[in-house]
Order: sequence, then C-alpha cells, then structure tokens
Amino acid sequence: MIEPDHSYAVEARGISKYFGGVAALDGVDFKVHWGEVHALLGENGAGKTTLSNILAGIYRADSGEIAVDGLTHEVRTPAQAIEAGIGMVHQHFKLVETMTVAENVHLGWPDTPTLVSQRVLVDRTNHLMEEIGLHVDPTAKVWQLSVGEQQRVEILRVLARGAQILILDEPTAVLTSHEARDLFKVMRDLVSGGRTVIFISHKLNEVLEVSDQITVLRDGVHEVTRSAEGATPRELARLMTGEERTLEVEHREITGETVLQLEGVTASNDRGVVALSSVDLVARSGEILGIAGVSGNGQTELAEVISAMRRVDGGTITVDGEDVANGLVRKVTDLGVGHIPEDRIGVGIVGSASVKDNAVLRHYWTEGLSSGVTLFRQAVVDFATRLVEVARVQTRSITATAGQMSGGNQQRLVARREALLATRVLIAVHPTRGLDVLAAQEVQTAVIGQRDRGAAVLFISDDLDEVLLMSDRIAVMYEGRIMGIFDRVDADREAIGLMMGGHTLEEAMAK
Amino acid sequence: MTFALIENGFLSLISSAIPASTVVVLAALGCLVGERVGVLNLGQEGLIGIGGVYAVIAVVTWGVGSPWVALAIGMAAAGIAGLMFAVAVVVFRASQVLVGLALALGGIGLSNQLGTNRNGVQVRTQFSEFSLGGSLVDGGVREALFAHDPMVYVAYVLLPLTLWFILFRTRHGMNMRAVGENPAAADAVGVSVTWSRIGYSVLGAAISGAGGAYMVLSFTPTWSPDIARGRGWVALAVVIFAGWRPVRAVFGALLYGTMFSLGLTAQARGWGFLFNATDLAFFLSMLPFLVTLAAILLPAGAAKIGKRVRSTAAPAALAIPYSREER
Amino acid sequence: MSTYRLERRLEVDTKKQALTRVAGALIAMAVAGLVLLLTGRNSFKILFDGLEAIFGSQRGLEGVALRAIPILMTALAVALSLRMKIWNIGSGGQFLMGAFAALGVGIHVNGPGWLVLILMALAALVAGSLWILVPALARAYWDVNEIITTLLLNFVAAQLVTWASIGFWRDTEAAVIQSTKRVPYRLAELPGTDSLTIALLVPFVIALVLFWIFRSTTIGFEIDTIGGNARAAAFAGINVRRRILLVMLCTGAIAGLGGMLQLSAPGARQLGPGYEAQFGLTGFIVAALAGGAMMGVLVGGTFIASMFFAGLVLQTKGLSVYIIFGIYGLILTGVALGEMAARYRLVRVGDAVSSERVAS
Repeated sequence: MIEPDHSYAVEARGISKYFGGVAALDGVDFKVHWGEVHALLGENGAGKTTLSNILAGIYRADSGEIAVDGLTHEVRTPAQAIEAGIGMVHQHFKLVETMTVAENVHLGWPDTPTLVSQRVLVDRTNHLMEEIGLHVDPTAKVWQLSVGEQQRVEILRVLARGAQILILDEPTAVLTSHEARDLFKVMRDLVSGGRTVIFISHKLNEVLEVSDQITVLRDGVHEVTRSAEGATPRELARLMTGEERTLEVEHREITGETVLQLEGVTASNDRGVVALSSVDLVARSGEILGIAGVSGNGQTELAEVISAMRRVDGGTITVDGEDVANGLVRKVTDLGVGHIPEDRIGVGIVGSASVKDNAVLRHYWTEGLSSGVTLFRQAVVDFATRLVEVARVQTRSITATAGQMSGGNQQRLVARREALLATRVLIAVHPTRGLDVLAAQEVQTAVIGQRDRGAAVLFISDDLDEVLLMSDRIAVMYEGRIMGIFDRVDADREAIGLMMGGHTLEEAMAK
Repeated sequence: MTFALIENGFLSLISSAIPASTVVVLAALGCLVGERVGVLNLGQEGLIGIGGVYAVIAVVTWGVGSPWVALAIGMAAAGIAGLMFAVAVVVFRASQVLVGLALALGGIGLSNQLGTNRNGVQVRTQFSEFSLGGSLVDGGVREALFAHDPMVYVAYVLLPLTLWFILFRTRHGMNMRAVGENPAAADAVGVSVTWSRIGYSVLGAAISGAGGAYMVLSFTPTWSPDIARGRGWVALAVVIFAGWRPVRAVFGALLYGTMFSLGLTAQARGWGFLFNATDLAFFLSMLPFLVTLAAILLPAGAAKIGKRVRSTAAPAALAIPYSREER
Repeated sequence: MSTYRLERRLEVDTKKQALTRVAGALIAMAVAGLVLLLTGRNSFKILFDGLEAIFGSQRGLEGVALRAIPILMTALAVALSLRMKIWNIGSGGQFLMGAFAALGVGIHVNGPGWLVLILMALAALVAGSLWILVPALARAYWDVNEIITTLLLNFVAAQLVTWASIGFWRDTEAAVIQSTKRVPYRLAELPGTDSLTIALLVPFVIALVLFWIFRSTTIGFEIDTIGGNARAAAFAGINVRRRILLVMLCTGAIAGLGGMLQLSAPGARQLGPGYEAQFGLTGFIVAALAGGAMMGVLVGGTFIASMFFAGLVLQTKGLSVYIIFGIYGLILTGVALGEMAARYRLVRVGDAVSSERVAS
C-alpha cells in the first residue's frame, strides 16, 4: 500500500467542466501546500470561480479527481467538501438575510443541538467567536450587517466547522481598503496556524501583497503556478491576458458648459434607508467625472435618481437647466441622458425579447421609430442593424432573442445603446465589471468617445485604478455623501482610498 | 336578557364555527408546511377531494371500522398526489403554478369520479365527541369550546403548536426555513434542498388531505361532489393572512369558519335584516370569500399607505425552482 | 463508455418550447387514454365515438363551435394576462359577471333588439372589468399576488348568480326553479347554420386584434416588455403599474363579454347555477397550452372545445364529465413539464466542442 502524500493540502488533477457544451475548465491541475496563502488569479471567465465551486462541491466536475491531504475524496456535495475539510466563502454570500447571525452560523451544522433557542445559539456563537477571534453581533439579522461583517460571518461559519482549507472567492471586491487590510491579517493568522487559504482575485497588487504562491488560469486552462516572491504585476497581467494591452486616455482641459447639476439631493434605497444625503455635483460638457467608492455607498441610487428611476426626497437635479428630479424616465431620455445600469442584464435587457426590440428598448416611442400607436418595423430593423454593427455584437440574427447571446454580447449591446442615447449625459455604473480586458477596453473607448462628442460622463466604479485612469475629475462617495472632489492632477491615490473608507478630506490629507 | 341572548348566539356561533373551520385549518397548515420550504401547492382543492374520497372509500367499500385508519388512508392518498406534484416541480422544476392548478383540477375530477357511486352515502365510521374539561366549565362555553371530536383539538392545538415548535425551536426547522428563504445558502451548508422540498411537499399534502378526510368522517359526514367548495383556495389565502405562522393560521381559518357558520345560522333561524331571509342567506354565503379577500388585501394596503417598507413575511424563495448549477 | 446527463441550456428557444408544450399535452392525453384502458374502458372506442359525435353531423360541428365561443373568450382573456406574466385565474368569475350584467340589461331594458344587445355587451365588458378591479388595483399598487384574489371572486360570482336565479331575478313563470328570466333578444344567426349566431365571429375578431396589437403597436411592445422583465420595462420609461391595471381590466372585460355571448346562445338566454361550467379553467388550460400566442389560442381552444363537447355527448354513454377534468389536469401537467423539457438537453459528458468562452 502506498503511503498517502501529506505534503499537499489540495491536489486537483485534470479537472474539466462544461456549461452548455462550452469548456469553463479544461484539464486543470491545481496543487496547494499546507500553510500557505495560494492566490488563484485570472480574468473574468478564466475559470477561477468554477474551479473553486468544484472544490467546494457546488459544481460537479465532468472529469478529473480531487485529493485532500493526499487522500482522494469524492467532493460531490457541499457537505462532502466540508467533511473533507474544505470550506468556501462565496463572492455572493450564502447567508439567509432574514435570520440572525447566530442562526446563520449554525445552519446545516451537525454540531448544532437538536433543540435550538435564540439564547443557546447566541451563547454558542459568542463562544465560537472568542475561540476563533472574529467578532460580529450574534443577535443581529444578517440584512442589518455591513458587507464586511457579513463576510466575517461566512468565515466564522466555515472555520467553526473545522475547515482546514479556506477558499475565499474575490473577498475584497466589496470591501474598503481598511476592511481588506483586516481580512489580510485574518488570512495570515490562519495560515500561520497551519491552515491553507485559497484566495481568488484579479487585483494584482493585493495578490502580491498577501500570497505565498500564485496560480494563473487563462481561458479555463492552467497557465502557471509560481512563488509570489519576485513576481511583478506586469508579468502577472501578461500571464492573465496573454498579451500586454494598456489603454491610453487623453485628458484635456475642460472648458465645456455645465450640463448636469445636482444640489442637495437626498434619496432612500429600496429598504427605506437614506442612501444619498445632500449630494452636490456638477458635470460639464466634455468631461468624465469619476465616482470612486466601495459598492453600496449610494452610487447605484445616485445613477437612478438622475435617470428618474428613483424618487428623490429632496434637492434638485437639472440637465441643461431643465429640472428632472422625480420626473419621467422618458423626459430624461429625451434630454439626451443615457444610463449603463449596474445590473445590465437584469435591468437593461429583456432576455425573452428579440435583439431588435432590445435595441430600441429605451427610445422605441420616439419620432422615427413609432407613430405613437404603431411601431415602424423597418425603422426598428434599421436601427438595430446599425447598433449591432457598431457595438460588434455577435448574434445569429437580430430577430433571435437577446437571451440567446452570451453575457458579454448583451453587455456590449446595452453599453452602446446607452452611449448612442447619451448626447448630453452618460451615466456609466461599473460599466466594465464582468468583461474581459478586450471588451472592457471597447466599453471604455465608447465612453471616452461620447465625452469627446461633448457629453458629460458620470463614471461610477469601485475599481479605483479604473476611476483614476478614466476620469478628468474624481468625486469620492461614502455612505451616500460626497467626501471630496479632486481634479485629476491633484488626485492622491492614498487619500482617496482613505476617504472611500469614511475619512474626511482633512483627515485623509493629514495622514 | 339581551346580553344573554347575544352571548348565547355568540357561543353557538363559535360552537359551529370551530368544526366548520377545521378543514381550512388543516389545509392551511398543509400549505404552510410546503410554503415554508419554498413550494407553493395551488392544488389544495384537489388534495382535499382526494383525502376525502379515499376516507369514504376506506369506510364504505373497504369496511374500515376506525376513523383514525380511514384518516390515515385519506392522508396517504393525498400524500401520494403530493409526491407526484413534488417530483414534477422539485425534480423537473416545472412551473409550480401550472402543476398546482393541474392538481386542483385533476384532484377534483379524480375524487368526484371515484365518489360517483357513493354520493350521499352516510359515512358510518365517524369521529365521536371527545369532551374536555368535564365539569370545570359550564354549559355554553363547554359546548362551544370543549365538546368536539378529537380531530378538532389536533387541528387547532396539537398540530399548530407542533409545527411552530419544529419550525422555530429545532435545528431541523431552522434548516427548513433556510431552504424556503435562500435555498442556495442552505445548499452551501449541506442541507439537501431537493429532499427537504420533496419531503415537506408530501407531508403538507397529507395534512391537507386530512382536511378532506375530516369533512367526510365528521363534518358532513357523507360524500358529495366538489367537496372542497373553495375551502382549499381559502386555505391558501389564510396562509398569506397569517404571515406564514402556524398559530396565526388557526385564527385566519376561524375567521372564515365564523362567516360560514353565520350564513348557516341565519338560514336555520330565518334571520332577516336588510334583506328578507332567503336573500340574507345568499348574501351571507358570499361573505366567507369576501372576508378572506379583505383579510389578505387590508394588511398589504395598510403597509403601503403607511409608507412602511413591508418586510414581506413570505419565504423569499417561494415558488422559485432551485437548481444548484443555475447560472 | 460515455455517460449522459441532463444539462440546462443557457438559452431557451421559444419555438422549440411551443413544440415541447404541445408534445407534453399529447403525451398526457396518451397517458389518459392508457389509464382509461387500464380501468376497463375502451379508450379507442371513446375516441371514435367522440370523433363521430363531432364530425358525424352538422350538429356535432355546431356543437363544438358553440362550446368554443366561451372557451376561446376566457382563453384570450387569460392569454392576454399571461403576456404580462399575470395569472388571471378568475376569468370564470368575470365571465359570470359579464353574463349577469348582460342579463340584467336584457330583462330590464326595453328597446330595439340591436340596441339592447349592444347595451348588454357594454354592460358585460364593464362588469367583467369591475370584477377584476380590486385584484388589479391590489396587484398594481399594493403588490398583492393576483392568483388567489382573482380566484376567490369566482366563488362570490357563482353565489351571486345562484342568488339571482333562485331569488331576485327568478323566472316565476316557468316551472323550473333555479333559473332566471329569459332575455327576449337574440343575436343574428349565421346563415347556413341551425344554431350559430354572429357570436362565433367575436373571439376570432378579438384574437386578430390582439395579434395585431402584439405584432405592431407600442402598447403590445410594452406589455411584452413588462412580461419579459418588469425592471427593464421601468428602465424603458414604461409606467408598469398603470399598464398592469389596464391589461387586467381588459382581460376582465374580454372574459365578461364571453359571458354575454354565451348568454345569447340559442337555448340559453338565462342564468342558473352551473352556468359557468368551468369555462374559466378550461380557457386557462388553452392559454397555458398556447403560451400566450393568440393564434395558438384559436387552434388550441378549438381542440379543447372538441374534447369538451365530445365529453358532454359521451356523458350519456357512461363517461363522466369528471374524467374530463382529470384529463385536463394531466394535460396541464404535460404542458408544464413540456415547457421545462425545452430548457434541458442531453449531453455526453466530456463531449464538448465549442470554443466559445463562458463568463464565470
């Protein structure tokens, strides 16, 4: 009998996975030692999440095998993964929002006593938190927690179950830089205690900061595994994308007139909680005003109040001097405002409708496309054909349903459609999120093109590097307030990072 | 004098409302059990019919002498129907609305067909009265509250409390609630969404079937076509009214039963105000449905008008099929 | 050795889905036939008897057409709401109230026949939409699900009609109890038929109008957009709540008009308990089978009406109408499963070919 090889915490061999006949992973080998932070790096769509979901038993691999601590394991369900000592913290948290922290920690856990009461669960949770060293109010309902706290609940839950191998799927995407630092400290503590952390990210600086080993995936294929020592961001970027591409953005002095103006705008989110408090902003013709901030600090609501999809509780919003606050979506569109929404496929596309109907979704009622009663079918076809061409959307035909196109093509369709509508104002909310580098650059180019044609662009992103690259001016948002506005030349990366975490301009400058 | 009259009227109303509501209580608890794990079964009318007709068949054709055995047979039959429903909607992820309506229609058709030769036949095996309280309480109150058959106590006290206990005081119940709220979260921590949904669909269907069996073993006690007569739909509404809480469902159902008995009492006593006696009876016969409708509309409306952001009590994943590899 | 497994498609082909839906219904009917065979009934004989009842005489065909009118009307009503992903399960109640209002006008208004008939139709349209008004307002402005609210009102409508036929509008002259007075006016007959009136044309006209609306108008575009993705509809500047209200009132009006047409059928012209005869649920099945396609409703409705008629005729030969409901239930299950089947395909594991990238 062969003695199992204990040197690897996880050893995945020849993992393949197909969705709709398309390979998401193709024969991937992935080995991780005990006691290390191992980064799994790759672009969107490279297969990072698919691979980690397979390790965690969420997906089943179509082929390949997984060994944990040298022993081959069947990891076909999340329960089996936990049994094998693998725990995963998902990018989209798997928490029950209406339940308390204590309940969530104890969900589906065989160690939970058969009879439970809130008091027993809270006591046990307090005890666990003491032991592991992570703290959240155990009686709070999950929906009341900040994103960072929710993540802590997830980690606590996984560790409580005795996970020795912790998979963190893009854990920093939703965190402030301060919260991210805290997380990195937790990660280092865990590996120094002998555990293993698999850290999924596409942010190169973070990966280099916290990891011991780095594995790069590209297009579902294992590209390289190497030590983080001596690796450079440039080299990793090349490994991820296969080639070097950088976008050069030309910035000119802004002389244009004021197009969009917000004064004292206050609004609530879907839960009725204040999401924007007294926001003042001005955007001029021919400039990109970047909005930096961690997701969930009011950016979504800011975009929605401008395009009249959300009511304001106070304040004024004008486009070329016309008041649009609490107005009709159509009026705003008619004034030349385009909006690339955050959830492009959920809000911007009707999957069951044809590509041509989606092409005219936002202005089908306008002169030239309709008589007010009937749609001009030929005009719709003409417009859609043109849009599909300029957006380089790949579709079988314009009469096929939009849902049949790949996600990337749907996103391109929305981005270009809105850019075409945006003769005066373009609101772009995380417009490159989920796109690969090439597609992201296409969208960025379209945004810049619209600026150069004289539109005022509101560029919202939680990727600070992207905001710094694209913007002529940068406003920082935190908890629904504008913390400060910088001209591009004065923008201090460090200060902006602090302000995204809630520091005032003065505090940020003092540090 | 007048007070005594009103009190007497009230007590006799309660006394008849309780058995009249029992079917709705059971069906509502049956729905609730399924809905808590995210499965909406619109087929309640059919389940009541199936549970009822098999209890009749058990007694009349198979000669079963114990009402409990007949009840078990009715529940088993409805449970099998619930299993078929669950396979279609949980395993094959077919639309819960369509298959639920199919079960409502098909169940009514099947039970009426099976009952064709048994229309109006007296069901001789019945639940008998099971008095509680003895001499502790006096006549009127005793009649109203403590002189019913044992199924009444099961439906009003034992079952809702048991369900409440399981759902809110056990580990298992906590896991089940998570399946109804966020199946992906439950799945990620190793709770089987498929099995809990199938299991509780079957259990829920059996409880609803018990409602039908109760009708023929105690309330009517004969078989007649279309036995549910809308009670299944009322049960579905009661669950909404009760905010998916078992104990509240009992009171929702009682509201229906009280309205129902009001109609019967008015008819029996020849009451006539506003209308003559016949017209009043007809008017009152619409009342249970109108009151049920109001019971689900008013809380929703009050919440909207009060500008309160309603934390809907409905399980968040209700009627949404779950697939682990859904992308 | 290769293994197969079911895989969910990334996208659904609507045409393929229409086919699998119909296939599901046909398989369900085959299952029903098998069950009938196993329970000692000769399903082939039933089938031939049914076909003979329909095609054997002009009366048979006219009988089908007569049943088709109410079924098509409720089916069109439901199909319209389904385009917006709204389940109007109360079309039976709206149908009854349409008939109720038309009857009220018919027995109380004296005048030229054509005028009274027009007034009856108007009353039916209004009554049908009033009957869905409360569920529609609740759905549009309070976000209350319409399934149970529309359905509860069916029972109220049924009670109201029973009340009318035994109570306030009772036919006091006839010996029959439980039926209302008769409307003394009738619709113009279709030439060359024994029993059909111009009522038969109405569902076809409505189907064509609806077809045109969804094909060529902005409002049809808006309804489909709401049905496809309500959030996207709001993003497109569509007033979703107002559209929901409008569509629900229209669906009620169509069902209500169906009630008036049925009332004008020869031999009817009065109301009584059992008048609705499950036309609402039957129409629902037709609409589900057609998946909201108006032309599909015409074909499916005629088909189901034939079954309905054959079932009624065969009742005299020992086939109970209850069995028809059992079969309806099976068909609806078949439709639901068929709809799902289009979303899956059988793949051989490890047999992928495409090089298209998938976003993870």
